[in-house]
Amino acid sequence: MSFSLSQTAAKRVDELVRRYPKKEAALLPVLSIVQREKGFISPEAERWVAATLGLRPLQVREVLSFYTLLRREPAGRYVIQVCRNLSCFLAGSEEIIRHLEARLGVRAGGTTADGRFTLETVECLGNCDHAPCLMINDDDYGPVTKETVDGILKRLA
Amino acid sequence: MADAKETLIPAEENSFRLEAYLARGGYEAARKTLLSMQPGQVMDEVKKANLRGRGGAGFPAGSKWAFVPKADDQPKYLCVNADEGEPGTFKDRAIMTRNPHLLLEGIVLTCYAVGIHTAVIYVRGEYESIARRLEQAIGEAGLKGFLGADVFGTGFGLEVYVHRGAGAYICGEETALLESVEGKRGWPRLRPPFPASIGLFRAPTVINNVETIANVPLIFRYGAEAFVAQGLPRDGGTRVFGVSGAVKKPGLYELPVGTSLRKIIYDWAGGPAEGQGIKAIVPGGLSAPFLTPDEIDVPMDYESLAHIKSMLGSAAVIVIGDRTPIIDVLRIVARFYAHESCGQCTPCRVGTTWISKTADRIAAGGGVPGDLDLIRRLAEGMKGKTLCPMGDAAAFPVLSMVGKFGRELEETISRRAE
Amino acid sequence: MVTIQIDGQTLQVPPGTTVLKAAEKIGVLIPRYCYHPAFEPEGSCRMCLVEIEDLPKLDLACSTVVREGMTVWTSTPKVLQARQEVLGFFLADHPLDCPICDKAGECFLQIYYDQHGRYASRFLETKEKKKKKVPIGKDLLLDRERCILCTRCVRFLCRVTGTGELGVFERGVKAEIGIDEGAPVANNYSGNLVDICPVGAITDRDFRFKTRVWFLENRRSICPRCSRGCNIVIQSICGYPLPGNERRVYRIVPAENPDVNGYWMCDLGRSGYHDIEDNRLDAIAVKGEGAAAGQPLSWESALKGLVSDVRAAAAFGRPPRLGLILSSFLTNEELEASRRLFVESLGAKHVFFADPAPGKADGLLLTADRAPNRRGAQMAGFEPKPPDLVGLSESVDLLLVFGPHILDHVPVEEAARAFGKIRRTYLLAAHRSALDEVAEVVLPTAVPAEKQGSFTNTNGLKQHFERALKPSRGRRAEGAILAGLAAELNVKLD
Repeated sequence: MSFSLSQTAAKRVDELVRRYPKKEAALLPVLSIVQREKGFISPEAERWVAATLGLRPLQVREVLSFYTLLRREPAGRYVIQVCRNLSCFLAGSEEIIRHLEARLGVRAGGTTADGRFTLETVECLGNCDHAPCLMINDDDYGPVTKETVDGILKRLA
Repeated sequence: MADAKETLIPAEENSFRLEAYLARGGYEAARKTLLSMQPGQVMDEVKKANLRGRGGAGFPAGSKWAFVPKADDQPKYLCVNADEGEPGTFKDRAIMTRNPHLLLEGIVLTCYAVGIHTAVIYVRGEYESIARRLEQAIGEAGLKGFLGADVFGTGFGLEVYVHRGAGAYICGEETALLESVEGKRGWPRLRPPFPASIGLFRAPTVINNVETIANVPLIFRYGAEAFVAQGLPRDGGTRVFGVSGAVKKPGLYELPVGTSLRKIIYDWAGGPAEGQGIKAIVPGGLSAPFLTPDEIDVPMDYESLAHIKSMLGSAAVIVIGDRTPIIDVLRIVARFYAHESCGQCTPCRVGTTWISKTADRIAAGGGVPGDLDLIRRLAEGMKGKTLCPMGDAAAFPVLSMVGKFGRELEETISRRAE
Repeated sequence: MVTIQIDGQTLQVPPGTTVLKAAEKIGVLIPRYCYHPAFEPEGSCRMCLVEIEDLPKLDLACSTVVREGMTVWTSTPKVLQARQEVLGFFLADHPLDCPICDKAGECFLQIYYDQHGRYASRFLETKEKKKKKVPIGKDLLLDRERCILCTRCVRFLCRVTGTGELGVFERGVKAEIGIDEGAPVANNYSGNLVDICPVGAITDRDFRFKTRVWFLENRRSICPRCSRGCNIVIQSICGYPLPGNERRVYRIVPAENPDVNGYWMCDLGRSGYHDIEDNRLDAIAVKGEGAAAGQPLSWESALKGLVSDVRAAAAFGRPPRLGLILSSFLTNEELEASRRLFVESLGAKHVFFADPAPGKADGLLLTADRAPNRRGAQMAGFEPKPPDLVGLSESVDLLLVFGPHILDHVPVEEAARAFGKIRRTYLLAAHRSALDEVAEVVLPTAVPAEKQGSFTNTNGLKQHFERALKPSRGRRAEGAILAGLAAELNVKLD
């Protein structure tokens, strides 16, 4: 099989597999490791994960398609997730979303042509006292305004 | 510093560090308790403290622990629910970020009481930096012998793992969380059997919210009576109220159970945002029936809120200002549940999307007479008929909006139809 | 035993019985989709909600276990309303495909709507669009719009065949059943998926658009394609809406039998309906006569010929110069008749069997033995084994061959050489084969579906079956031929 992970990631996968009484319980953490390294989970990755955990590729695909943070397609280098739930809506998130769509030239769900940004709208991020909030990869931002958003994008450019 | 009362979310910078926690007197309660009390006594003390679950359902923690079989002939598990997906809720984030060792100490006490040797902290996938902080804290605690094969030298063994989720609100539901830890889709399980008898990997399992467990060391530090006295006789301790929405000072406020909603919003959160009055209040996370401004004097405890047909839930307060059209709130709420429905059972799978599509249509100006009655019927159709509580969670806020704000919604429908 | 009340009726059931099963005992059929008696309760369809006294909410009948003194109500206004509401959710996202859906007539959305619905739709939105003709393996097609996500198909492939080809993908209203492209459904039990699908989501290409189920006549029989003896239902039409008196078999489905095949049958057995229709011999043929003379030969004259041939062979004394190649497709009654007539009465010694070559047992129902009544043959006192044709050809002047399966053991040339040395050979078979040209007289016979009798299966269980179809167009059951022969020879068969 041509798919392989870096040594560190492979080591982490080994630890995880040994941690649980059933190998398959490591599925979510392993998929997360694969996605961190490769940016998404390809069909080859699915088969590798399946083989590593003693699962059928179908079982991996079932899980992969259920959880919104797991990707089957590559995303931009920066994944911008803007909260669209109630507290953020009350603080003006819809305006921020429209602003980002215009700025980046993509609709929510899309990736910029240069591959730098993916824009997604998501449900509550658990950061409601900093509404309107968003995440870019693992980092939290909020409260944001149209201006601060522009500043963040510029810094990431 | 050691005699300043420990709060769930300390104010200082670096409060999360082990040295800071030890300086505050951390891990002492656990050490003393493991060295001097039997597991059964620990469980009794927690029962006495009337610690109710702080994830949403409010089930008494001590009673839940007591359902687990006492015999030591099989593995048992503790799952700490750090999925924190209930909209408006952000307290567990702060507890884990600023006081991870308090949570770990609570895990030690809980596991000791129930005879558990493996604890899994299920952290939502979006909380990656928090997961890392927890792992660091676990490492630190392990080095000091607060976790591991020989906790405090008592021979009690305990391993704690962090298990990351991957984006699914439903995995905050107990049995969906178990499925997710087992590497499967988050489809909740049929009950009975309950997790206390058949849970994680079919072993007896306790599932508790972060804040619930984080309160346990405080019970042993200050005693069960003091804990009860802080709150109410049947609902002890403090709650970390999260306030957001149209208020001047959104944030977390750790206050006694039973504090009035008015006090929380006006005295602590600064009152409604500039130039707005209050139209509606979410009292306990999005899944709780909404309150109207005239209900604002309700004491924030389980019984009082149940009495006015709402719930304390995750103690997440969202204030909706009077400039916000209720139809927008309705469509956002409906969209959330439709997006998060796991799809396993038909009433929720179809009902949430049906309500969402109807609300969107009304918001876009296509509402027709009978739509509100339809939405009510759909929500009633889901209520009490789904495999897991999410059906009710999806129904409650919708029913409360259609019930309490029906006039405004009808006006929206007729106005936009012109 | 536990005493409970259901709809005012008191009954006693063993502890551990669910409310749903208890209700069935008194003829109360609580509606259900995801529940299937072969599996543990699933609890996801929510159709079986009933009212149990002293409990605040409605509860699932499929998974609630009875308790002493439990009082259950299955048709209160509260229950009926809940059923309507749940049904409404199913229907809201279901396409109105009835006019083109094979399941119409045996569809449980239709059936329950008829019994418990009957209201106008309030659905004003756009239904979810999904793929409607997804090949999932073998002859199966999946219509994702019709699918109600009961997951019976997924669970069948996990629990019964252990092959797990189907899974559930996506979440919420986008959830759908599917396969891994490289691993479609490929086991010998795929046909059961069509049976257990409560709606028309999984259909079979072999049956699609051919007929309407309300025209079908259902008759029980026993599958003859191996020695398991699965109980089956043969579904056929004779007459309307087919033209004239035309008969056609459309489908075979399993009949439940906990002692033999449970709820299932294998695909090999299902496709056995082709054996009833296809490749059938339908006319008596005598080498050199008959067709050449342009006259159909009659059974009377064929039997007369057979009687005189048997008499001639018997005239040599005991043992007669008569050979038999019997078949394990014969019923116990036919085998017994053969034994009494040829072995006991005439003293025939050259008695052999030619059965299909063994296949591979699949670990579930399909046996290696591919004939239905080998055990029956053994229990009738036969030693079913094929002949040494060369030796046989020198010892007999008359050979009666039942079925063409000798060709599973020898090439047709060898059979031809041997038969050529025998003065008279009769082939009594249901299907055409190369042996038709080799035997002197070919008598077309019935298939098991056209007979009554019994087979003894691999576990020694004797199963009686009635005629499911009339043998048409000049075919006769072997039993009838033997009875006629015995009557002429004055041999009592019973």
